[in-house]
Amino acid sequence: MSALGGPKQTGGIQPPTGTGLVVSIVLIIIALALAFFLVQMAGLIALIGIIIGGVLIGFGVHFVPVGGAPAAMGQAPGIATGVAMLAAGAGLAGLFGGAWAVPLGIPVALAGGAVGGGLLMAITCTMVNVIYVFGMGIPAASGKVAKDPITGDTFPEYKSQGTEGHGLPFISWVGGVIGGALGGFGGTLIYIELLEVYQAQLPALLGATVEQIAPVAVSLAGIFAIGMFLMNAVLAAYNITGTIEGPHDPKFKRFPRAVIAAAAASAVAGIFAIALSGLLGVF
Amino acid sequence: MSVKIEVGAGGIPHNQILIYGLVGSIVLTYLTYLNTITQTQYFAFFGGLAAVAALIWGTDTIKHLCSYGLGTGVPSAGMIALGSGVIAALVGATTGIFAPIVAVIVAAIIGAVAGVLANHVVRMDIPVMIVSLIELAIVGAMTVLGLAAMVGGTFNFTDLVTGTTTFLGFTIQSYEASVIGGSIIAVIFMLAAIAIQHSFNACLGPGEKQDRTLMLAAECGFLSMIPVAIISFAFIAFIPAIISLVISVVGWFYTYAQYIELSKRDAYAWLDAKPILEPKGGA
Amino acid sequence: MEEIVFGIGITALAGALATVAGAAEDTESDIGSQGDPNSQVQLAPQMGYIHRIFNKAIAGEPPAYGLWVALGAGLAWAFMAMHINPILAIVLGSALAVFVQGVYATTAYLGRTASLAKFGQPVYIDILKSMTTVTMAHAFIAIFATVAMCHLMISALGHPFPLPLLGLVWGIALGAAGSATGNPFYGKERQYQEQKFGAGVPISASGNIVRYAEAGQRNSLDNGFFSAKLGGPASGVCFGLIVFFELWRTVVFEPFAAGWGAVVIGVVVILVFAVIDRYIEVWARKTFGPYTVPEEASS
Repeated sequence: MSALGGPKQTGGIQPPTGTGLVVSIVLIIIALALAFFLVQMAGLIALIGIIIGGVLIGFGVHFVPVGGAPAAMGQAPGIATGVAMLAAGAGLAGLFGGAWAVPLGIPVALAGGAVGGGLLMAITCTMVNVIYVFGMGIPAASGKVAKDPITGDTFPEYKSQGTEGHGLPFISWVGGVIGGALGGFGGTLIYIELLEVYQAQLPALLGATVEQIAPVAVSLAGIFAIGMFLMNAVLAAYNITGTIEGPHDPKFKRFPRAVIAAAAASAVAGIFAIALSGLLGVF
Repeated sequence: MSVKIEVGAGGIPHNQILIYGLVGSIVLTYLTYLNTITQTQYFAFFGGLAAVAALIWGTDTIKHLCSYGLGTGVPSAGMIALGSGVIAALVGATTGIFAPIVAVIVAAIIGAVAGVLANHVVRMDIPVMIVSLIELAIVGAMTVLGLAAMVGGTFNFTDLVTGTTTFLGFTIQSYEASVIGGSIIAVIFMLAAIAIQHSFNACLGPGEKQDRTLMLAAECGFLSMIPVAIISFAFIAFIPAIISLVISVVGWFYTYAQYIELSKRDAYAWLDAKPILEPKGGA
Repeated sequence: MEEIVFGIGITALAGALATVAGAAEDTESDIGSQGDPNSQVQLAPQMGYIHRIFNKAIAGEPPAYGLWVALGAGLAWAFMAMHINPILAIVLGSALAVFVQGVYATTAYLGRTASLAKFGQPVYIDILKSMTTVTMAHAFIAIFATVAMCHLMISALGHPFPLPLLGLVWGIALGAAGSATGNPFYGKERQYQEQKFGAGVPISASGNIVRYAEAGQRNSLDNGFFSAKLGGPASGVCFGLIVFFELWRTVVFEPFAAGWGAVVIGVVVILVFAVIDRYIEVWARKTFGPYTVPEEASS
């Protein structure tokens, strides 16, 4: 990700406009009504699942400590890559594990997805610290807070001159794992809900058995889960303007905006994904 | 320190490119319908050309959007475009002959929702945000639909989910060996996501020139067509696939050569194995 | 029992392939200055530091590798559908994906450099000739290893995703792991070699990247040579561990407690890494010590 100038940072957090809130709520209600109308109760439950999944993704992105380009120079704390894509990496690794565990039941699949995403972030964050400490001789120091809320480590004296901090303090590590786990959980939830809808609808429409259409259902659910994941992750990335240190960063307080946006965006994208099999029957 | 995004001024007005791109991609996608009418597959390559037209338009849109500074990388715009576009394209594909039109409408709805959310809930407050995300979602949808039509010879959903496979000399129908069942859509998704953002991401800077950027967009489109044409050997007959491949390679070669010429024109100097030219007055 | 032993063998092989892929991916992106360190290569001419470093701004590493691996996997899938032997299919698919990567690399360098004409940065065409091929070679190793790993996951371990979708998932994960681990080492340690060791680069030094080598002028092959020593292998270890633990916990422990065994082991592995990370952090604080005396004696 190239370092690009972001929108002007304002001191406080601008709340969503009235129009924005009303539009979001109306869209979610319309989508839910349509889902009920098209696929009855199963559709309604599926769409609620998709919305929850989208919200978890949007919320989870805020936990992932990403420093962008300055982090690669040891100028800012966090992981040196783009926030949307790092979250996507973790969430999709979670989706890999979750999709694999679907035959064992939904709770296991969701837990497996969360653990998969958390595992990727745990290993990545640890290796980031290995490089900072053993490759560059730099201890971790946050630029936004003076004390680690978990371990109580103090940071200002460990911050090298002319930088905003560097490395991954323990709070960021924990944030990364939580973010990865939320992303993996949300992505897997979207995938499972869509898979159930397609497995219920496609066999009748195509005149085939569930086993025969399994590749189509898996592919459709998989690519839509990835598409919605990226939409929500990018909206959340816009919300934090690219970089965040983790749950202790003041920017973290902006998460309600991303949660609302993710809920409405997932509702609209989700209703089209659910309606796909319904449309197929019409034409 | 972040790099300010600077773009060149002048060139063809954006609205003109918008109209050419939109009409061009719809018409070219419809030309693949000649396959269904004439019961052949020779016209599959028009799908790829539709993708090229859409990508040129999308590049100009990204240039307008990203000149405001998003706070995160240019690639994120490509991701949100394709995340919404792939859903719209597949929903559109279920409607048979209306596919391109429905895909455009669905994409416009999803894009508008994402734009309203980005501006009014996430508070990006970028004037062109809503229009740009609508355009980008349509571009994403048309690119996916066009390339899917190119690889499968049709944009009809039921034909995209069924494929044939030869087993011990017998030809049997299989959902696994289809464009969607084999997740070739995932390949198209990523091809388009990189192609849509690459041209502007690669050409940004104070010396950016519209003709060079758009030539690169066309080059990215033809380049994406090459692997799609190769994959299409698995789905359509040999001769139509060869036609697609030849057209892709010729188009790519021409645009690549043109792009190098334009880069030569715009470069400060074009040197081969020469040392660093220190600027006058020293660094 | 035999099935589990077979599964563990495949897990180990997939982990090994992932390690190779991660190492090749990071070295490739560092030779091309892809990812976050790219911002400094882009910034340097604007500050008056003309350089001969490859500036390959295709996209961030995760989306770029998402494409290369998904493309390699998609082409391999198509060749397998045409009844070509899987190994040959994966080689051909990766080779064609590398062609696309190479073309993107050249257009990215030409585009970015031509747009910097105002600052007097010339296009060095020999950079394209000598370095694109090297990045393509590294990318081929990364793509081939990842696609082969995905193929193993499907054919030997029975993952439900088709090959291209799995390629997309692991390609993005590969780029995320490689860019996260490898970028700081290239960005700080190599580009800003002249700055003090053991400290971040002061913001005032931005753009002043090292442009001259031990002999002559530095080019990106020197950077690949450097990051292959630590950044590359560390990225490889990172991605290898991710793939290995992800498969290992599923293959070995899924039969326990109706699947919850795999979840519990995953949590345990995360906790183990938490302890390792904390140990490293505390070790760094003790060994490197504070840069300044703590203000107000930190009570």
